[in-house]
Amino acid sequence: MTDFKAKFILNFIEDNRWRYITEGLGTTFIVTIFAILLGTALGFLVAVIRSTADKNDKNPVVIHILDGICKVYLTVIRGTPAMIQLLIMYYIVFTSPDISKRFVAILTFGINSGAYVAEIVRSGIMSIDNGQFEAGRSLGFNYVQTMMYIIAPQAFKNILPALANEFITLLKETSICGYIALTDITHGANVIRSQTYEPMMPLLAAAFIYLAVVSLLSAGVSKLERRLRTDAR
Amino acid sequence: MKKLVSLILMAAMMLSLVACGSKAPENTVHSVDDLPGKTIGVQLGTTGDIYASDYEAEGSTIERYNKGADAVQALKQGKIDCVIIDEQPAKAFCEKNSDLTILEEEFALEEYAICISKDNTELKEKINAALSELKAEGTLDAIIANYIGDDTKGKTPYVSPEGIDRSNGILVMATNAAFEPYEFYQDQKVVGIDAEMAQAVCDKLGMELKIEDMEFDSIINAVTSGKADVGVAGMTVTEDRLKSVDFSDPYTTATQVIIVRKDAE
Repeated sequence: MTDFKAKFILNFIEDNRWRYITEGLGTTFIVTIFAILLGTALGFLVAVIRSTADKNDKNPVVIHILDGICKVYLTVIRGTPAMIQLLIMYYIVFTSPDISKRFVAILTFGINSGAYVAEIVRSGIMSIDNGQFEAGRSLGFNYVQTMMYIIAPQAFKNILPALANEFITLLKETSICGYIALTDITHGANVIRSQTYEPMMPLLAAAFIYLAVVSLLSAGVSKLERRLRTDAR
Repeated sequence: MKKLVSLILMAAMMLSLVACGSKAPENTVHSVDDLPGKTIGVQLGTTGDIYASDYEAEGSTIERYNKGADAVQALKQGKIDCVIIDEQPAKAFCEKNSDLTILEEEFALEEYAICISKDNTELKEKINAALSELKAEGTLDAIIANYIGDDTKGKTPYVSPEGIDRSNGILVMATNAAFEPYEFYQDQKVVGIDAEMAQAVCDKLGMELKIEDMEFDSIINAVTSGKADVGVAGMTVTEDRLKSVDFSDPYTTATQVIIVRKDAE
């Protein structure tokens, strides 16, 4: 037990090493939250374009072009590892000196997540029976109104578990931030590990924090799910 | 047609993004005295990291990269002001990047040694004996001269003597092969001073050498957990490291230097 205490002091108390963890936690939070926002916005946009192109037989040329761009986006982003995307963003795309690392990370993970969210949302939209859509149109709703008031609420409920899954994955994926020397939880733990040569404490602490954050996230989602279910028969 | 148009659009978008990059700002570090308040790049867990961390109290920001090469890349783009790293790799980096230069002022002198688990004093003694034999024979000097020094480079490569009995088992060496000239990849093999020296030591011990390439900050963990027998990675003996592992006798000295961007002419 005294050994444990000594290790704890060495890894977290001495030289205020706990600050690497708290600083990392802040970065992980900020990057994850903004990446989720960006990814969701991007994902919904792409999903709407893709499903509009799929649902209608005759589309204007604009939709065709947008659909093409979306397909390329999905292929490229889902076809390459997030770590490579992060390195490309930091060392090739944003070569400018005063670029914020957090911004680069948010953009990378947002764009990355957007591709997965897009397919999740599209699966939600496609899962709603076409009869719902026809009913909406025959009630006098136009295309956008049908989507907004009839399809979207039902689709959202269906995709919620998959979305939560994606956000959890995203949170854990931010652990590669260390590659651009951005101190997230994992990198913070690695810094401590490199100073104390003591792998157990920092790694377990990092694992525990991820687990705690993910548990909070899942608890929130299941609460939301329950609330959404109350209006269903 | 549709695909072609979108591909062209995509390419145009990427190109316009790439073009966003601007020129790196002018160098602001001209001596060690300039370090306070600057952004210093280091490789995580190296002695450069330890020295640089002392400047944290003086308002410097330390950026710890997983690889020295990443820190150098960031320096080139002006994301950081300087990089503190060992002299020889610094030379290798500057040779390949004409826009970088090494400050003449040396930052710190240090000794490299092989790290061994504390439980393995028998191996440590054997390695120390082998090292002193290699030093006495001049083999060690020849290996170092083969990688360092413009006149001697590549002239005295180490060749294992023939007919060695390797029945004493396998020696697993943990290293981080991004540290020219001590260890680096050539023709998909890890070569360099440390690799050749380890081979020479193995020849003395009658063991087979197996090199494991990993992140630098994982090497000591690998040695303490027994995943590797020794860590040979241009490793300096420091007090903090001695708390977790043992070191052999030093096999060479090295200096820490500061890499900066070249001043505009």
